[in-house]
Formats: sequence, structure tokens, C-alpha cells
Amino acid sequence: MIQPRLVWLIALKDLKLFIRDRLALFFFILFPFMFVVMFNFIYAGVGSEDDRLVFHLVTLEEETETALSYQIIAAIETPDESALQPGESQVVREDDYDELRRQVEDKELGGFLAFPVDFSEGIYMGRGAEIEVVADAEAVSYRAALYGLADGISSWIGANNVVEKAISELAKEQAPAILESIIEALGGQLIAGEPLIEYTSEKVGEVEAEQPSNFVIPGYLVMFVFFAAALSSEAIVRERQNHTLERILASSVRRFTIIGGIFTGTATKGLVQMIIFWAVGILAFNIDLGIAPAAVIILSFLMVIVSASFGVMLATLVKTDRGAGSIATLAALIMAPLGGCWWPLFITPQWMQFLSKVTPHGWANEGFNKLMLFGADFADVAPEMLALVIFTIIFGSIAVWRFRTAAG
Amino acid sequence: MPEEYLVAQDLHKSFNEHKAVNGVSFAIHKGEIFGLLGPNGAGKTTTIRMLSTVLEPDQGDVTIGGHSMKREADAVRNLIGVCPQELALYVELGALDNLVFFGRMAGLSSQEAKEQAKTHLALVGLEERGKGRIDKFSGGMKRRVNLAVALMGHPELLFLDEPTVGIDPQSRNNIYETIEGLRDKGMTILYTTHYMEEADRLCDRIAIMDGGQIIALDTPHELKAQIGPPEQVTLEDVFLKLTGRSLRD
Repeated sequence: MIQPRLVWLIALKDLKLFIRDRLALFFFILFPFMFVVMFNFIYAGVGSEDDRLVFHLVTLEEETETALSYQIIAAIETPDESALQPGESQVVREDDYDELRRQVEDKELGGFLAFPVDFSEGIYMGRGAEIEVVADAEAVSYRAALYGLADGISSWIGANNVVEKAISELAKEQAPAILESIIEALGGQLIAGEPLIEYTSEKVGEVEAEQPSNFVIPGYLVMFVFFAAALSSEAIVRERQNHTLERILASSVRRFTIIGGIFTGTATKGLVQMIIFWAVGILAFNIDLGIAPAAVIILSFLMVIVSASFGVMLATLVKTDRGAGSIATLAALIMAPLGGCWWPLFITPQWMQFLSKVTPHGWANEGFNKLMLFGADFADVAPEMLALVIFTIIFGSIAVWRFRTAAG
Repeated sequence: MPEEYLVAQDLHKSFNEHKAVNGVSFAIHKGEIFGLLGPNGAGKTTTIRMLSTVLEPDQGDVTIGGHSMKREADAVRNLIGVCPQELALYVELGALDNLVFFGRMAGLSSQEAKEQAKTHLALVGLEERGKGRIDKFSGGMKRRVNLAVALMGHPELLFLDEPTVGIDPQSRNNIYETIEGLRDKGMTILYTTHYMEEADRLCDRIAIMDGGQIIALDTPHELKAQIGPPEQVTLEDVFLKLTGRSLRD
């Protein structure tokens, strides 16, 4: 049904036309990098101070200087926020448990740690105590961070308890007087106001802010690959209007071959854009493709295919080349911000992240962010890949159904 | 009796409620130039689009070189060349690139396409301009390239839909000479035009269409003889008598 050699010849012809169009070359190859450089600069702080992780801690113990939870919070709370380095988290002491809980329920706060009323007693008596982690079910990352902090605190206390117990056992065997003196000494420390738990932070290497090009380049790749493909609908309609498609059809070329050729040509242009984007990204911006570079490439390829399908589909839905150009521009400029091409989706509100899923851009960007920012592997982005395949099938089916070679 | 190379039988085509072609039947003999004349909206272009397989008739069939268009469209396409009324060219590409591309579409190898492209460009007097971009060409040059593209693949039947619209006398004369040369080589040609003297000069037989139907079909001499002494009557007189003097949109 399809004539592969002719498909490729039609695609080559489209590529030749694209290369001859210097304005298009500038707009779709060089122009995007002006945006990349500009937004790379604008987003230079994202992931550092602006994206600081803030832990809220509250204790239900009565406020006495000997309460262990007070000692812990005092040891780890941030005394001066302005002194924090990029990437360092902030610990804030809170007073009102009920208010914090309300904020979590209202999704104003991701979560907090709470020390129970009998925390010190449980620890001192050796029966243990629980730190309560209160977190929004949807704030997965934040909850994980709170668990990490709680684990850190409990293992720290655990280590001290082991030492304390060892001393107690030793004391029982050798001399009850020694035990008394140790307990007295410990008590003396607490009374003197020195923290029982010491909190030290060791900075290993330089803490760097998130590299903005890791989300700026994929975002603009998605936007401009889609934009170029959508605008190719204009050229397809023009071919229909000046009867070149009809001329091809009259020379033994089948309808599906023409569709295949146009699609291949559009997709090939997208692949060229994709290669240039990643090459420049790696060589000039030092972007990190994450632990699954193959997944990044496949996701890019799927975005190219989706975009080409959209371009051919759009050409079948409009009558004039001017109409195609207008709708293509409108679609590209609406879907790009909606789909997270202009700013990373993870800094947008939940409803906007949800809305982004109506565009292929949203799925592609989410996949790129997972792979290049959050350490996801191939399997983690399978839903995004599947979504792009579904978009391709929908756009492609409409294109095949509506495709015609004649104007009118 | 001359061999019938193209036979159109009872062709019908409607667009929404408008009947563009309404029961057209005729035959074109092998090696002749057959003229299809008619005022605007008569159905000429729709008929040519059906004959060249790009538009499916609502009713009727066409046989070209013994192949039915309905059953053997690919075989029919291998026999025909189309020069549409519009400049169906890639104006951003060179003349040679256009010819080679459409030659490849017609099934020629790369080498064959290049050789034929050079031959046909020479035929229309553009052998020196092969690398020039079409959008830099004059109207006459573009028309000649449009004709040269239709010749790629050496078709046996050529459809020429108003190939001389809006061009200078020199280019028009070049096209006439090219068409006459093709006829001398045995090519069958279906020709539509609004220029009556052109049809009178080139066509062996002429069909006049109006309202989607053929209202007269004969040699130019016989058509003229229908309304007066052929030496004193022009084809335009015949045309106006048959189709009327009212304006057409």
C-alpha cells in the first residue's frame, strides 16, 4: 500500500525546501537557543534558595529546660536563615500543633514533625518514644524528607541510649555509686543548658543550585519541535492549493505514500532539531541526561512523532495556508506554557500540573523532568511514553481520515 | 478507423448540489490533439481532473490505453502526464530539481530522471536555466517548466489545462511548437484553452462544453461550417453562437 522509496523521496524534497528557507532555519534552529540562554539565566536560582526545604518541628511536651524534645529542636533549628548556603534545608520551631495540622489538612503545608507529650519520659525510661510525622498524602517528596529527618533523630537518640544502657549495666556490676555519679553528671549537663544531643552538619563538596538548563532545554525542545511541525501544516496546505499534491497523485503515487512522505519529512525535520538541541545542550550547557539517557532520547523521538502527526492533522482540518499558520501558532503558544515548556511543571500549582496533561507537552516535560532532575529510570517514564503514543495515534488517525490532495 | 486511445463514458460529477459534469462521453484518437473548450464553469477542469485520476467520478468510467480507470488506476497513471492550469511547482526549488522530483514520482530512476529533465528543459528552451529557482523565473518560463514536468516519464497521453494563460507571445509560441513536436512524435494530447485561435491552430478535433455537457464535437473546419463558410467564420463565432453571449463567473 505504501511505497517506501517514494515516501523517502517526498520527505527529502520537504527537507530540501526547509533547508532553502533561511528564515525557517533561523526560527527553528537558532532562535530557540536565544530563549534557552535567556531562561537559563532567569532560572539560575531555581533549586537553591528559592527552593529551600523547610522542616517544621513542634513538641507537645511541657516547656521545661530538661525536656529532650526541646533540646533536640534547639540543637537543629536554623538560627539564621540568611546564613544558609544554597541547597541547605531550614528547620523551624513551631508552637501550635493544631494550627500546623490545619495547615496540612488545607494543603498550605506539606507536613511537620511532632514530639509527643511523653517523649522525654519514654527515652529516659528506656521504653522508647515515637516521633509523629504528619504529612500531606500528595506531598510524597516532602513526606519522604520528613521521614528521613525523623529517622536521623531516632537513630541518634538510639545510639545515645545504647551508650547510656551500657554504662548502666557496667555500673550495676561494679558500683552503684558510679551510676549515680553518671546520672548526676548527665543531669548536670542538662541543667547547665548544654544540649544532650549535638547536631553537626558536615558540608561535603559544594552544594550547587539546580542546573536550569536541565529543564529549560527539554522545555524549549518540546516547544520548538512542536511549533515547527505545527507550522509545517501551512506548507502542506499550500501544496494542496497549488496542486503539487494532485500532481504527485497523478503520477502513480498512492494516497498513503503521500501522507507517509509528508509525515516522514516533518518528522525528519523534528529529528534534526532534536539532535541539535541535545548536542548543544550537552556540549555547551553541560546538561545531565540522568541515569537513563536512552529514555530521554526515546521520549524526544516520541515528541517528534506526536508533533509531526499534529502538523499533518492540522493541515487536513483547515482550508487555507493562512488559517493553518494562525492555528499552528496559536496552538503552539497555548500548549507550550500549559505543558510546562516555559517554566518547570513542578513549581506550578497542582491544578496546573493536572491541566498540563491535556497536552503532549505536559507529558513530555514531566518525563524529561523525572529523568533529568529526579533520577528516574526507564520504567518510571513508561506512562509518559504511553501517553505520547496515544496522542500520536489520535492525531495520526484524524490525519489519515481527513487527508485530501485537492483544495476546497 | 483511428484507434481510440481514451474513451470517456457517461461521466458525472457533482459538488454538493452543483452538477459540474453531467453525462460527458467522448473518445480521443491516438496521436491527435483533442481540444476541450468552454466558458468558465463549463466543467472542463473537472473533466480533466477525472480523466487524470485525481478526482473520482460519481458515475461513468474512463478507459485509457485499454485500461479502465476504475479497475486499473495505477496502469492508467503510468500512461498519462498532467500539466494543470495552476503552476504546480515547488517555486523554492530549481527547475531541474522540480523535473527530477516529479520524474522520480513517475517511477524513473535517478539517472533516468536527470537525463529526461535535461532533455525536456531543452525542449522548452530552458536548458541554461535548470539550476535557477522557479520563483525567480518569468511567468512564461514558469509555464514552460510546468509543461516540461508533465513530460517526465514520456507519457503516451498528455493533459494540458490552459498551458498558455498569461504569458508573452514568445513563450506561447514556444509552447505551441513544443506541442506540435510532441504530436509529430505520436503523443496523444487533450488540450483546454480560452484562446480560440490557439485551438484552431493546434487541435485536430474540438469538443465544446457548457453546463457540464458536451454541446458540440467535430473538427474546427466542420464546427465553423455549421454556422457559415469556414473561410469567413472564426472558431470564436462558433463558440459564442453555441454558448451564448451572457457573462459567466
